[in-house]
Amino acid sequence: MGRSRAGSPRELLASCCRGGADIACFAASDGKLLSSDVTHYVIPDWKVVQDYLEILEFPELKGIIFMQTACQAVQHQRGRRQYNKLRNLLKDARHDCILFANEFQQCCYLPRERGESTEKWQTRSIYNAAVWYYHHCQDRMPIVMVTEDEEAIQQYGSETEGVFVISFKSRRERENESQESHGKEYPEHLPLEVLEAGIKSGRYIQGILNVNKHRAQMEAFVRLQGASSKDSDLVSDILIHGMKARNRSIHGDVVVVELLPKNEWKGRTTALCENDSDDKAWGESPTEPMPTGRVVGILQKNWRDYVVTFPSKEEVQSQGKNAQKILVTPWDYRIPKIRISTQQAEALQDFRVVVRIDSWESTSVYPNGHFVRVLGRIRDLEGEIATILVENSISVVPFSEAQMCEMPVNTPENPWKVSPEEERERKDLRRSHLVFSIDPKGCEDVDDTLSVRTLHNGNLELGVHIADVTHFVAPNSYIDIEARTRATTYYLADRRYDMLPSILSADLCSLLGGVDRYAVSIMWELDKTSYEIKKVWYGRTIIRSAYKLFYEAAQELLDGNLSIIDDIPEFRDLDEKSRQAKLEELVWAIGKLTDIARHVRAKRDGCGALELEGVEVRVQLDEKKNIHDLIPKQPLEVHETVAECMILANHWVAKKIWESFPHQVLLRQHPPPHQEFFSELRECAKAKGFFIDTRSNKTLADSLDNANDPNDPVVNRLLRSMATQAMSNALYFSTGACKEEEFHHYGLALDKYTHFTSPIRRYSDIVVHRLLMAAISKENKMEIKGNLFSNKDLEELCRHINNRNRAAQHSQKQSTELFQCMYFKDKDPDTEERCVSDGVIYSIRTNGVLVFIPRFGIKGAAYLKNKDGLVISCGSDSRSEWKPGSLQRFQNKITSTTTDGESVTFHLFDHVTVRISVQASRCHSDTIRLEIISNKPYKIPNTELFHQSPPLLKSELVKEVTKSVEEAQLAQEVKVDIIQEEYQEYCQTKGRSLYTLLEEIKDLALLDVSNSYGI
Amino acid sequence: MAGLELLSDQGYRVDGRRAGELRKIQARMGVFAQADGSAYIEQGNTKALAVVYGPHEIRGSRARALPDRALVNCQYSSATFSTGERKRRPHGDRKSCEMGLQLRQTFEAAILTQLHPRSQIDIYVQVLQADGGTYAACVNAATLAVLDAGIPMRDFVCACSAGFVDGTALADLSHVEEAAGGPQLALALLPASGQIALLEMDARLHEDHLEQVLEAAAQAAQDVHILLDRVVRQHVREASILLGD
Repeated sequence: MGRSRAGSPRELLASCCRGGADIACFAASDGKLLSSDVTHYVIPDWKVVQDYLEILEFPELKGIIFMQTACQAVQHQRGRRQYNKLRNLLKDARHDCILFANEFQQCCYLPRERGESTEKWQTRSIYNAAVWYYHHCQDRMPIVMVTEDEEAIQQYGSETEGVFVISFKSRRERENESQESHGKEYPEHLPLEVLEAGIKSGRYIQGILNVNKHRAQMEAFVRLQGASSKDSDLVSDILIHGMKARNRSIHGDVVVVELLPKNEWKGRTTALCENDSDDKAWGESPTEPMPTGRVVGILQKNWRDYVVTFPSKEEVQSQGKNAQKILVTPWDYRIPKIRISTQQAEALQDFRVVVRIDSWESTSVYPNGHFVRVLGRIRDLEGEIATILVENSISVVPFSEAQMCEMPVNTPENPWKVSPEEERERKDLRRSHLVFSIDPKGCEDVDDTLSVRTLHNGNLELGVHIADVTHFVAPNSYIDIEARTRATTYYLADRRYDMLPSILSADLCSLLGGVDRYAVSIMWELDKTSYEIKKVWYGRTIIRSAYKLFYEAAQELLDGNLSIIDDIPEFRDLDEKSRQAKLEELVWAIGKLTDIARHVRAKRDGCGALELEGVEVRVQLDEKKNIHDLIPKQPLEVHETVAECMILANHWVAKKIWESFPHQVLLRQHPPPHQEFFSELRECAKAKGFFIDTRSNKTLADSLDNANDPNDPVVNRLLRSMATQAMSNALYFSTGACKEEEFHHYGLALDKYTHFTSPIRRYSDIVVHRLLMAAISKENKMEIKGNLFSNKDLEELCRHINNRNRAAQHSQKQSTELFQCMYFKDKDPDTEERCVSDGVIYSIRTNGVLVFIPRFGIKGAAYLKNKDGLVISCGSDSRSEWKPGSLQRFQNKITSTTTDGESVTFHLFDHVTVRISVQASRCHSDTIRLEIISNKPYKIPNTELFHQSPPLLKSELVKEVTKSVEEAQLAQEVKVDIIQEEYQEYCQTKGRSLYTLLEEIKDLALLDVSNSYGI
Repeated sequence: MAGLELLSDQGYRVDGRRAGELRKIQARMGVFAQADGSAYIEQGNTKALAVVYGPHEIRGSRARALPDRALVNCQYSSATFSTGERKRRPHGDRKSCEMGLQLRQTFEAAILTQLHPRSQIDIYVQVLQADGGTYAACVNAATLAVLDAGIPMRDFVCACSAGFVDGTALADLSHVEEAAGGPQLALALLPASGQIALLEMDARLHEDHLEQVLEAAAQAAQDVHILLDRVVRQHVREASILLGD
C-alpha cells in the first residue's frame, strides 16, 4: 500500500509561506523562529544528527534546521532515548533550532528511486530541501549542510551557489573500541524477550539499582519496582555484591536481577569506611545475610551527564604509554571510572569536565565515553557550584529573549497598571480590606498576604491572598514551559536560581506594600465567637497590601510592645493622630488573626487530628533560614499563625479542586512511616531513658515533646531529626492515580492537602492555581479556559516536580557542605581554635561513631580505629591517642580496649571534643573529617558554655567564604577570564535581582570596614 | 525502533496531514450505463464503487414487501486484491454482513422510502482498495449513486471516521492509523440538519473525550459534503450539456 499523500497541497503551501516577504524563517507549528542575525543556517545530515547530537545541543550553535528526514532516521535507527533528546531540543525555546517537515512539502519531497539505498536517498532529500530552503529565503541566507558522507560533498559541493556542503571535521578521533582483553569481562545481557518473560514468570526481578555511596566498588542495592514487588515475598532490597555481579549497570538504571542461591547470600556492612580505600575495611564481619543477586539485563539506562576529573600528570604516566585513552574519575562516587579518548588530557587536568557515556561492552572493564565541555577549575567556587548543578541535572541558563518578550513591562517610564478589564472582573479589595503581609526580614518575593475584618452581621472574615502568578504566565507559553522544567526555585547556600524571571518574582507578582497587585483570594466567614467556618469564597481579586511586616515586628506588636513601630517604614511619614488610629487597627488585626489561628488549630486537635510538631512548616522555615539569616532559635507565635493560615488555605483549596475534578488534581500526600524505621529512634531514646511511642502521629508528637533532657537540649533536637529521617518524604501526586484513603497527610494530619500559597517559587502551586480557576469557572457554568492536565499527564508532571524538588534539596545540601569545607580548608586544625568543637554522638558503628556538631550544624563520622588498626584510647587527662587494641560494639555504646588494659567507652549522646579538618579530594568534593581528641565535652577557654556562644549561622559562614573568594579573585586578576564566562552562564541572579544587589552592597560595606581597620 | 509516532510535536500525522485534514477526495457519478445509478469514489487510497437499482418490484419472496415504504437492500463486498494480503472473501461473511446492515440503516434514514411502498431499492458497494475508512467511503459512494439514480433523499449522507491520539482527535483515519489500535469512530451525518444517521464505535474511549472526537468527525463530514456537492453539480452540468439543453 503506497503512502497516502496529503490531501490539499494548498494548505501545505500556505503553511510554508507563513514567513512572508520578510527574510523567511518559519517553524512548522509553534511559531518558533530562527534568528535572522546569524551568518548562515546549518542543516545537519541524518548521520550527523544521529552521531553528534550533543554537539548540536550546544546553545552556541544557532540557526539549525533539522530536516524531518533526519529526525526520522534518528527515530528509526537510534531508538526512543535519542529521539526524545532531539524532540526536547526542538521544543526548547532557548535553542535556536527548528524542524522542517521536508517530506510533507510539495517541492521538497523526493520519491526514492529504484535501487537507491536509504542512506543515499536521505542525503539527497536533505540536500534538495536545503536548496529549496535557500531559494525560499530569497537567496539571502547562505545554507551550510553538514555531512559525513564524502561522496555527497563531491557530488553536491559545488552544485548550488549559496548552499555549502562540508563535513564535520571532529577534532577528536572517534574512538575505536579497544579490546583490552580478548576474554570477556562481564557476562552478556539477556535479550529483552527473555527478560520480560522471566519477570512475568517470577524468575527475575525488576528494580532500580542504587549504589552504596560509601562502598561503591562492592555494594549496590536493587529497590524493587512495579509488579515484582507485589508478587514476590521479598520485603527488603536485593544486594548486588561486586562489580561483576553488577554487570555494567550504573547507578539509577532499571535492571533485571536474578537471585543467587541462599548459601551465596551476603550481608551488608555497617562499618564506617572511607570511599577511596576499596576493601580495606572488608575484614569486618558483616551482618546477617540478605537476598543477594546478580544483574542479568538492563531495561532502561538512565545515563546522564557526568562531571569528571582527569588524572593528574603523574597518574597519566603511570597509566601506560597509550595516553590517548584515559580513565577519568566521576565526581559522584557511585559512578565507575570512564574511559575517554582525547589528546587534551594534560590541558584538562585542572578542570571539572562534563562527559557522557557512549557504551559499555562486555569485553571492557570500564565504560567508554566522550568529552562534552569544561565547567571550571577544580576548587574554584564557580566551578564547584557548576559541578553541583550538573550532578543534580539542574539547568539554569538565563531566561531567553523569547521568554522575556512575554513578560509585562514595569519601568519608571512605563509603569505597570491595573487594566480596566481586570478591574471589572476581579473583586476589588483595595479599599474595603486591610491587607498585610508577614515575612522574614528583607524578603522580596512576597507571595502571601492576610486580612481580617468584622462583617456587618458581626461575623469575622479571614482572608488569605496569594499572588496571581497564573495571570501573567499563560499555560504552555515559553515562560510556563521554562518554569515547568525548573519546577522550583533553587536555593543554594550563597545564591538562588529563580523559577520565574525577576520582573515577576520580585516585582509584579510580589505583594509588596502600597502597590496594586492581582491576587487569588480565599475568604472565610467565621462565627464571631466560635470561629466556626460558615462560608467560603474563592476568586480573583485586586489588593493593595498596607503593611509589609517582618516576623519580629509582628510579634512585638502582638505582645503589645509598640516601640517597634519605628522600624516599620509605613508608619514613618504619618502624623501622630492617624498613626495612632492605623496602629490600633493593625494591632487588632494581628491579635485577631492569632486568636483565630489558635482556635483553628485547637479545633483540629479536638477532632483527634493532632499533628506532629510542624513537620512541613519546619522544613519551609529551614529553607528560608538559608537565605535570610534571622530565624531565631525559638519560633515566634507569629510564625505559627501565618503557617496555620497557609495550611488552612492549602487544605480548603485541596478540598475544593478535588470536589470539582476528582480524578485529575494535584495534591500532596505524606504517607505514614514504616514502623521498622523507627527502631533506631526508639533504641536511641531508650539509651537516654525516654520512651517513644510511634504508633500514631499523635503519640509520636507527644512522646517527642516529653523526651526532653533539661541538661542537654541537643538530645531533643537529635531525636526529632531522627524521627523526621525515619519518615518518608511528602510527595505530589495526581488524584486519579491513588485511592482516596492514600491522600492522607500524616505530618499535618489532614485528609487532603496541596500546595497553593507559593506560586512564585513552586510550579505545583501554579498548577493548583489553574485548577482552582477552572473549578470556579465550572461552578459558575462558565467555559473552562485552556485544557487541564489529564490524569496521565499530571502523574508525569508530579513525578517531574518531585524529582526536581529532590534535586533542589540535594544541591542545597551539597552547596552547604561545599561552603563548610571551604570555611575550614584554610584553617590549620592544630592551631586554629575554631576547628575544635563540641560534638554529640548520635549513632554507633562497628569501627566508629557518627557525631553531630551543634555549633556548625555538621554531621560526620569519627573513627575509633584508624587505618593502621590502632584504636583510640583516652588517658587520665582525657586526651586521646592511638594505641594497638580492639573495639567492641554494644547496643548503644562502643568500647575500645588497648592491649595494655586501658579501655574507654563511648555512649550515645555523649559529648566529646572533636577536631574538624578537611579531607581534600581531587576528583570528588572535599569532605569534613572529624577526629575525637577528648572524650570530655569541649570547654571553651574563657569558660563559656557552648550553647551560650551563638551558633555560627550558615549565612555568616557563606559570607565569609564568599568574601575570601572575592579577595582571591581581586588578587589574581589574570585568572579571571575563565571565571567571568562561567559567571555569566551560571550566576543568573548576579546583578539581576534586587536581592543580590543589596547583598553585594552589604559585602562591600564589610570590606570597607576591614580596610579602615587595616589603616 | 521507536514506536510509530501518529502525531508529531509539530502536529503532522504520518502521511503529512494535520489533525482535522481529510485525504484527497475524487469522485465520479454515472460510471455504468446498465445500472439505474452508479458512482466511484477515491478517498486517498481507499477506492469504492457503488451501484443502485430501483426502485423496482420486490424480487424473490413477496412476503418481504413493506406496505408503507420501500425496502432498502444493501450489499457490501470487497475485492480480493483490496488489502495488503490477498484474501478470498466469500459473500455473506460476518464482516460484509455487518457492513451491509450498517449501510442499510444509514440509507433507510436518508431515503424517503415512504414514497415507494411495496418496492425495493438495491445498493451494491464494492471496495477496490482498502486504506482505512472503508465504511465512510462506501456511504459516500452510495450517496452519489443514489443521487445518480434519482431516488429522492432527505439530504446527502456524508460519512467520515475519526480517531483519538494523545489528546487530539484525528479525522479520516488511514490504514496505518487504524492499525495502531486506538479508538475509532464512524459517523454518517445528514449535513444540512446535522442529524446523525449512524454512529458507531467499538473501542474504549473516555467519555470526556467523546465530544471532541464526535466534533472532529462531524466537521470532517461537513467538509465531505462540500466536496460531494461540487461533484454532483459538475455531473449535472456535464449531463445537461450532453443532453443539449
